[in-house]
Amino acid sequence: MKHYSDLEYLKLSKGKKLGYRVASFFTGIPKAIWNFIKKIGNALKGAGLKVADEAKDIVGTFIKGDWKTKVSYLIMGFGCLARGQILRGLLFLLFEIVFVGYMVLYGVYWLRMLPSLGTVGPHEEYNEIYDAYTTTYGDNSFKILLYGVLTIFFIIAFLYTWRVNVKQNKLAEQILRSGKKLKSGKDDLRSLVDDQFHKTLLALPLTGILIFTVMPILFMILVAFTNYDGAHDGYYSNLFTWVGLKNFNTLFSWSSGGVNYAATFGEILAWTLMWAFFATFTNYFLGMIVAMMINKKGIRVKKLWRTILVLTIAIPQFISLLYVSKMFAKNGIVNGFLMNMGWIDKAIDFWGETANHGLLARVTVIVINIWIGIPYLMLIATGILMNIPADLYESAKIDGANAWQQYTKITLPYMLFITGPYLLTSFTGNMNNFNVIYLLTGGAPTNAAASGAAGSVGFTDLLITWLFKITMGPESQYYLASVVGIMVFVVIAVISLIVYNVLPSIKNEEDFQ
Amino acid sequence: MAKNQNSMKQHMGIRTANAISNTIIHILLVIMSIIWLIPFVCIVLQSFRVESTWQVGYVIPQKWGIDNYLNLANTDFWKWYLNTFIMGVCVAILQTIIVLCMSYTLSRFRFKMRKPLMQFMLILGMFPGMLAMIILYRVLKDLGLTQANAVPGLILVYVASSGMGYYVSKGFFDTIPKSLDEAARVDGATRAQVLYKIIMPLAKPIVIYTILTAFMGPWGDFVLARYISFGASAGMNVAVGLNNWLTPDQIGQNYTMFCAGGVIVAIPVLILFMCLQKYYVEGVTGGAVKG
Amino acid sequence: MASVKLTNVKKIYDNKVVAVQDFNLEIKDKEFVVFVGPSGCGKSTTLRMVAGLEDISEGTVEIDGEVVNDLQPKDRNIAMVFQNYALYPHMSVYDNIAFSLRLQKMPEDVIYNKVTNAAEILGITDYLMRKPRALSGGQRQRVAIGRAMVRDSKVFLMDEPLSNLDAKLRNQMRAEIILLRQKLNTTFIYVTHDQTEAMTLGDRIVIMKDGYIMQVGTPTEVFEMPENLFVAEFIGAPKMNILKTNLIKEGDRYYVTPFGAKIEVDGEKGKLLLEKDIQSGEVLLGVRPEHIVLAKEPGEHAIPVTLEVNEMMGSELHLHVYTEDGTRLIVRVPTIDLEKDQREGLVNGAKLFITFEGKVMHFFDAETEKNLIY
Repeated sequence: MKHYSDLEYLKLSKGKKLGYRVASFFTGIPKAIWNFIKKIGNALKGAGLKVADEAKDIVGTFIKGDWKTKVSYLIMGFGCLARGQILRGLLFLLFEIVFVGYMVLYGVYWLRMLPSLGTVGPHEEYNEIYDAYTTTYGDNSFKILLYGVLTIFFIIAFLYTWRVNVKQNKLAEQILRSGKKLKSGKDDLRSLVDDQFHKTLLALPLTGILIFTVMPILFMILVAFTNYDGAHDGYYSNLFTWVGLKNFNTLFSWSSGGVNYAATFGEILAWTLMWAFFATFTNYFLGMIVAMMINKKGIRVKKLWRTILVLTIAIPQFISLLYVSKMFAKNGIVNGFLMNMGWIDKAIDFWGETANHGLLARVTVIVINIWIGIPYLMLIATGILMNIPADLYESAKIDGANAWQQYTKITLPYMLFITGPYLLTSFTGNMNNFNVIYLLTGGAPTNAAASGAAGSVGFTDLLITWLFKITMGPESQYYLASVVGIMVFVVIAVISLIVYNVLPSIKNEEDFQ
Repeated sequence: MAKNQNSMKQHMGIRTANAISNTIIHILLVIMSIIWLIPFVCIVLQSFRVESTWQVGYVIPQKWGIDNYLNLANTDFWKWYLNTFIMGVCVAILQTIIVLCMSYTLSRFRFKMRKPLMQFMLILGMFPGMLAMIILYRVLKDLGLTQANAVPGLILVYVASSGMGYYVSKGFFDTIPKSLDEAARVDGATRAQVLYKIIMPLAKPIVIYTILTAFMGPWGDFVLARYISFGASAGMNVAVGLNNWLTPDQIGQNYTMFCAGGVIVAIPVLILFMCLQKYYVEGVTGGAVKG
Repeated sequence: MASVKLTNVKKIYDNKVVAVQDFNLEIKDKEFVVFVGPSGCGKSTTLRMVAGLEDISEGTVEIDGEVVNDLQPKDRNIAMVFQNYALYPHMSVYDNIAFSLRLQKMPEDVIYNKVTNAAEILGITDYLMRKPRALSGGQRQRVAIGRAMVRDSKVFLMDEPLSNLDAKLRNQMRAEIILLRQKLNTTFIYVTHDQTEAMTLGDRIVIMKDGYIMQVGTPTEVFEMPENLFVAEFIGAPKMNILKTNLIKEGDRYYVTPFGAKIEVDGEKGKLLLEKDIQSGEVLLGVRPEHIVLAKEPGEHAIPVTLEVNEMMGSELHLHVYTEDGTRLIVRVPTIDLEKDQREGLVNGAKLFITFEGKVMHFFDAETEKNLIY
């Protein structure tokens, strides 16, 4: 493809400019992918080199180090203790003792069991006391998987600490050689509120995230490769075990034992994306219009209108959502009102009409979502609108823009420019908007064609509510829920990656802030 | 002179056009306000209806009374209410501390792992959090913190993962000029002193915003609370408890009571929110703009 | 190409604050007029009334003989450069400059020629594809000017366009605006608070204070014949020294007696005083720092002063001195006029004698602060 210089490009007609941009976008894709691969390659290479460097450094430190350092390779913290850094030394030592103790007592067992996830399941065994066969429980697959993963974490943490310990020795030797004094325990403690303050501040939050977010997610990713479900809970019913990629095959094969997961998944994914799109953009544009209406010069009691809208944010969503859901029920107020007015003579079944893939219910949830979302967007839009410099409008006025042109050429692009990242998060947030769908419709109306899949699937079900239904369903197919969860991640990650890399305004936006 | 009059006319034309558009907007705003308020008016009215307990197609009760409110005492409602309140207060305190630690650090300190950490959390946030529920339930169950004892368990879960929600307050901290920190450090303050002597007083709006949203979290949480408290009424929060009254088999007898419960739940949150609305608005707008 | 006429223009804000009082001015075609004054004097408001960005409370603004009071800004055929440039952040430089042309539905190839032409003149051709945020202050300034340039408008308005630039860039851009003006050959109204800009750029200068016009004139006029004390002090740097003193008429001769000295008002100034038949009495005497000279020795014409601060400006010295009664004066001495040992004697606390001639004096009424002569 011909590459244009700036001036040549600007000389092109409008259509050609667009064509050139589209063409250069598509011709750019292979390069972008290649760059991405190269980046990964470089990262791997960098990591490899780093490991080699580390190894070299570890060996080098051992060879050059004095006897205190050498002992430290085996007994962590020895060097620190020998050089008078009691606090550090004790901490290292304590950590090593705990680690070794744990590994000997438990860790080795969990690690050994991890490949099989347990061999002895619950079985009948003769019990001499009762003189009968009773159920005896064997291994616990769930615990093996959980503690196996934790043990691996622990080993990594230990290796890291050991490395720090070696580094400390090298550093201490250097400092002593140059005739300076080592930091005392008191200095260490003081630095935790000063130059190392970030470590203090982050310790608690990161521990929480590690245990309650990272670990569960890692665990559930692993579950996707097992047959963990209600019938294989790993202890009481049956053990569960590794099944490889079978669950992914199940989800993506068009026919597996009469249940067509792939079609169901496709249908739900399509609606999820549709929902996210409409939920995000209807709110965005309507919220902006409402904000502009309220902020228009000459509108009275601005505060009142704003407060009425904000009121809806204050009321816990489950109340408003559940209540609105019931308002639209067959015997609800909306139908009652419409019938009393004589506008309809038969109640409309908002949540039960299955025609056109449940179009009525789908449109209704989007409309109700507007009701929920506008107040937030109104607030956000107000904040941004007020921040648009007044001289932009003045300049546009002089340049000859009328009110409508000022909106389309200044206000709208400016808003989109500023809120690019927000739109992205809002889009992915809507994809996972469990509350609105679950509390409003619970997924209804039921999709008869997909009812074979785990949990009853409805036309308004999102991937996330489907995931919930699978988990809570009669068979508790946790493995399938995990696979769906991973797919949600993949979809969101792909969308985010594209948006971040393709739309330069968003990328630049990040740079400038 | 003629020209002048002509332009006067034009001026009047602009004015009347403006007046008409303003009138239309006022009418639209009134209609919108009605739409936005109808559900809340309805819920309040229905909560005073005593002639029947099921859903009806009219709004104004035929017989008024506070029976629905009194009947709440015969249910677990006040237990749920207390549960939620306790959770709200604990989460408000602990989550605020965690979120502020996190966001302040990521806004102010430049350490080696900062960028990777933020990227990692961005990726982590792309996983549906609901996945974690299954294992959290099993783990909490082993600790004895589920079902009837769900309250401490839920607090633990809410607080522990709250560090992920640092974006909004980080955006706010980013707007406080760094030169303030530097001035204080030159004046001899440690990093810790900079935080609680300089930054915290300036960060009042975002602190209040964080407290407010943290407090409101448990009142609206449905999924996790339902999963962890699984079937045990004593461990439920209001959302889970009240939702049970709207299941097909209960809605006939408990619908009006749900309305009454909803009103009682909404009132304190509403009052708190209205008092602190200014800060909330500041947080929401700032967070979105700074992303 | 147009004349602009403001007749009895007044601006009163909703809160009854009067920003501009009875403004009358006729700007000729292709004239470069500068509004100058301290902040809050109403200069920007006046400009914005011409642009149509502010309502005109009273009076009329005419452009080319047509009353434009009720015309929208876009219908006034003006171009404007804003203090903060007001570049559209989401558009590239090219799109920024092309914006008004596109609104006029001009064909794209004509727009292309106009924009690249303007970019060429301003030296921003390389940045046409960039967003304003990726530009330096000076480059943004050029884009803003370019945007106004391509419009071929009747009047070119500039609202403190250089105030956001650093001193060096400001001097450079000032020179470029002079060149630009020669190229565009249109009517300019330029607002600034900086009297140097006003003096160097303007064909005529309008000096404002508290919403009133204090004087309108060419740079030479306002410098040499300030109508009142405010203009005298505002124009020129360092500012004019003002001494409270007595004017004494002895026969046909006038004398001033600052700090015990007695200096005759000779030359043209004396004649003018006589023509106006000014009587003896207290006056405010103005002498510009560059017009004061160091006297070699004490005498009737010399005022004894003490040196407080000696500022070396390179080509000249600014001597801050005070008299016996503590009145502070500034004396500007070209460095080249002083011998080496003389310069070395100018240390803090040195006792000096200063004097000035009659032709450099300005006389202001002690009450009205009006110039007694002009």
